[in-house]
Amino acid sequence: MSQTTTRTAEAIDTFVEETGGWIASQLEACTRCGICAAACHFYQATGNPDFAPVWKVELLRRAYEQRFTVAGRILTALGIRRRITDEDLVAWSKLVYEACTVCNKCAMVCPMGIQLGPLIHDVRAGLAAAGMVPDDLMAAVNKQLEEGSPLGVTDEVFEQRIDWVSDEWDVDIPLDREGAETLVVFSSIEIMKFPENIADIARILNAAGESWTLSTAGREVVNFGFYEGSAEHTAIFISRVLDAAKALGVKRVMVTECGHAYDALRWTAPNLVEMPEGLEITHIVAVLDALVRDGRIRLRTGTADGDGGVTFHDACKIQRRGGHIEEPRRLLKILAAESFREMTPNREAAICCGGGGGVIAIKEADPNRYAAFGLKLDQIRAAEAGTVVMACSNCRLQFLDGVQHFGSDLKVRGLSEMVAEGLEASDEGRTS
Amino acid sequence: MGEQTISEHLRAEGVTRREFIQYCGILAGSLGLTALPSGLHGSPDLGRRALLDRVVQALETSPRLPIIWLEFQDCAGCTEALTRSQSPTLVDLVLNEVSIDYHETLFAAAGTAAEEARLQAMETYAGRYVLVVEGSVPTGGRGLFCTIGGRSATDILDEAAAGAAAIIATGNCAAFGGLPKASPNPTGAKGVWEIVEDKPVVNIPGCPAIPEVTTGTLAHFLVFGKLPELDALNRPKTFYGTTIHDRCQRRPFYDAGKFAGSFDDEGARRGYCLYKLGCKGPTTYNACATLKWDGGLSFPIQSGHPCLGCSEPEFWDGGGFYQGQSAPIGPPGLTTIGLVAGAGAVVGAGVAAANRARRRKPAPTAPTAPAESGGEP
Amino acid sequence: MSWHEFLRFLRGPLFEVALLVFAAGLAYRIFRVVALGWRRERAPAMGSRAGGVVTSYAKGIGIWPFIPWVKDAFRGNAVTFLAGGLFHLGLFVVILLGTAHMLVWKSLLGFGWPTLPLPIVDFLAAGAIVAMIALLINRFTQPVVRKLTGPAEMANWIFVFLPMLTGYMMTHHMFFRYEVLFSLHMLTVDVLLIWIPFSLIPHFAFYFFSRTIHGSQFGRRAVTP
Repeated sequence: MSQTTTRTAEAIDTFVEETGGWIASQLEACTRCGICAAACHFYQATGNPDFAPVWKVELLRRAYEQRFTVAGRILTALGIRRRITDEDLVAWSKLVYEACTVCNKCAMVCPMGIQLGPLIHDVRAGLAAAGMVPDDLMAAVNKQLEEGSPLGVTDEVFEQRIDWVSDEWDVDIPLDREGAETLVVFSSIEIMKFPENIADIARILNAAGESWTLSTAGREVVNFGFYEGSAEHTAIFISRVLDAAKALGVKRVMVTECGHAYDALRWTAPNLVEMPEGLEITHIVAVLDALVRDGRIRLRTGTADGDGGVTFHDACKIQRRGGHIEEPRRLLKILAAESFREMTPNREAAICCGGGGGVIAIKEADPNRYAAFGLKLDQIRAAEAGTVVMACSNCRLQFLDGVQHFGSDLKVRGLSEMVAEGLEASDEGRTS
Repeated sequence: MGEQTISEHLRAEGVTRREFIQYCGILAGSLGLTALPSGLHGSPDLGRRALLDRVVQALETSPRLPIIWLEFQDCAGCTEALTRSQSPTLVDLVLNEVSIDYHETLFAAAGTAAEEARLQAMETYAGRYVLVVEGSVPTGGRGLFCTIGGRSATDILDEAAAGAAAIIATGNCAAFGGLPKASPNPTGAKGVWEIVEDKPVVNIPGCPAIPEVTTGTLAHFLVFGKLPELDALNRPKTFYGTTIHDRCQRRPFYDAGKFAGSFDDEGARRGYCLYKLGCKGPTTYNACATLKWDGGLSFPIQSGHPCLGCSEPEFWDGGGFYQGQSAPIGPPGLTTIGLVAGAGAVVGAGVAAANRARRRKPAPTAPTAPAESGGEP
Repeated sequence: MSWHEFLRFLRGPLFEVALLVFAAGLAYRIFRVVALGWRRERAPAMGSRAGGVVTSYAKGIGIWPFIPWVKDAFRGNAVTFLAGGLFHLGLFVVILLGTAHMLVWKSLLGFGWPTLPLPIVDFLAAGAIVAMIALLINRFTQPVVRKLTGPAEMANWIFVFLPMLTGYMMTHHMFFRYEVLFSLHMLTVDVLLIWIPFSLIPHFAFYFFSRTIHGSQFGRRAVTP
């Protein structure tokens, strides 16, 4: 029984609101060739044609046709074109939240060059307005709204954790220091699951003599509003970080090992909110590379050698969508001078880990997620690597979970962790 | 004019039996038939002797064929072509087998004397004469654009058609209206068959008509007493059954894609296909490529000029003699296209504006700039 | 009405109308999109947008169509790539470098250009026809494409295929008299011209929007498109 309620109307109104020349011209450019499916890891892993990116965008295209085109309006009024119903929203919610990581590889194979990733993000926006977001994901959004973090890292928990890390690994971690140059914002994944990352990054920055600080108010870089697709929530979470940056008077904000947060802060934020004047947004990967190139830290060659092949997993939002492709390789060519090798495909054509875009937070998406991860394991096996390195904690979560699920003995490492390991002895122990 | 048979007439002219049979052979050839017309006794297969026998029999039993030749809006070119035919044996023969009882151009007489001769012939040979018409018939201005002896062409035509055994429209003007019919057709010119609708009219179009086609058609009527097989445009199939393109000597160049680009370039000098210079050969049905002109001397394409399509209706308005056949006829100019496109653009922009107006205003709690995941490239 | 009169109508008044509908319709489609408004992109670029655009076009037009098998996406889409490429190649060559069509452009624009020999154009035209048939079969058999095939896609196929088929038949004088084939070709061409603004075919115009956006978006993020 088809139903069209105000929910659907909300979704469609959002689509209409979003659709300007940028979206419309790309929807009109699609020739229904279906090649995008070949780039989608979810389609490749499962063979389900519903997962084809062009089909995920179909909801948006229908709304466009039915609202923006004369022929579409007439055909819909005549009943020749079906109206969008609540059932459609349910079906598409599963597709765009549970079978898509918004990795944008589809945009690379489309012969027309259509930016399917951003278009799918827009479908999420409409579904979010209609309240058709998977429960697990929405729960995380609400938690971040209320507590400041989807993993429950309140300001108290934050301060406790930072204290503990500083203690446990004997490293100086400045907090809420006004006048520092760089505001470092961690993801709650690192805070709760990979706390050693915090220590490693702190150690590196201190060794480099960097003027930096954390912020209690701006403690969470993860942005579940971005996964949700809600511009309102995205802006709220971004503003927390930006307000902290303003309050502390920093010159730049450094996103640590998180992918989507970088996409949200670096590329999306300026279109959503007013950015503090002259504030630079950067990522730890770029900073590490710059520090090494400027000689502010020195790495010992081959600290990661001698333990089988080492390969790098390109995180979609940092490499393909962020442009920081060569930085990690420059670092790994020093740290794993002999054992570094690329998997195929790599760089901007890399295959997504399968856990991004909020997928890992949704239990119903597990089958899809594991199926997609199988592709990564095959890749790494083909590259004959025993260790895989990455610069995104969400990827890292997915890899660890996936490796366990498949019973693989693949070693999963973070890039900052390896850089910290490889710091010259004389640089270590320096406190800021 | 007595009722001497043709063979008797020829015998009287001093033509021997042997020569007579030879003439019959040539005449048989000029009919261009590959089979005897249907409805005749005998097998349709053309044995070598069957057609010849038929021709001999016809000439031995028929008197000369009376012809009334009317000219209306014409240039007399078809007549000129006929008389300048380089096959004197054939034309003379035909002229020996027909008696032209009225012809403005060829007659020595003029004025009322000629008109009286015509009326007399029409009465004497009522039901037996062949009416040949040259030139188009103006129907505008209640017939005032072409009058002979004070009578309109349409009246004269109707009167002459009434008593004719067969009507032949020779030349594109009489067949399809020709040059006078070219846009804007100020005289309301029409072809004969658009005016005479109760009797079959044989069209022998061309500008001019190939003389051997005219005489061959007359010979057919003489020999078989009926009109030859006609195509959908009432043209004798034997002569108008194939296109110039199908018989053109330059066809291999068309197939190979070798064209003359201009009238004196390398391609033209090498005799390449004239398609790019506007040749209408592919859609023109006529015998030019086989019979040719001036007794087989040449035809336009052989001499380096593209076919004009002069045996086809309305060839003057067919898109320009030197414009490629594939090009549209009278396409809109760039200005028109531009204006129309501009109109489309305006309407499109209008629809877009209407779509934009239907967007919600951003809610007050929303961030300062409206949300959109992408921006201008 | 005789075939000649019909042909004159199809080459004359109907073609004129069809061409004007095509021009107005295409302009309508484009401006209906362009005038929707374009947001200013406020995030500072990291790489060169212009460089991205150039690379995007160079790859999209100059490289991938000719060696599609080097992309991973080729697997499972071989027919789409190969037949699609062959179709487009044949289409462009026939319409732009075929003598008969060049004369049409000449009558519209006032100038012409050198063309390819008929045997080459003919070969590619035949290739394009075969490619179209392959694409049709693909539309019904490939699982992703099958989901995307509806009445609009079928109409596109038929209205594009018929002019190609009749054009080929016309060139080779197959089965019917020339003016009959010419008439069929003009009829299907006129129908196609009128159909285009109502269909997905204007993708050839929107290509320039999506490809430029693609190059710019990747370029500004310092990623090779």
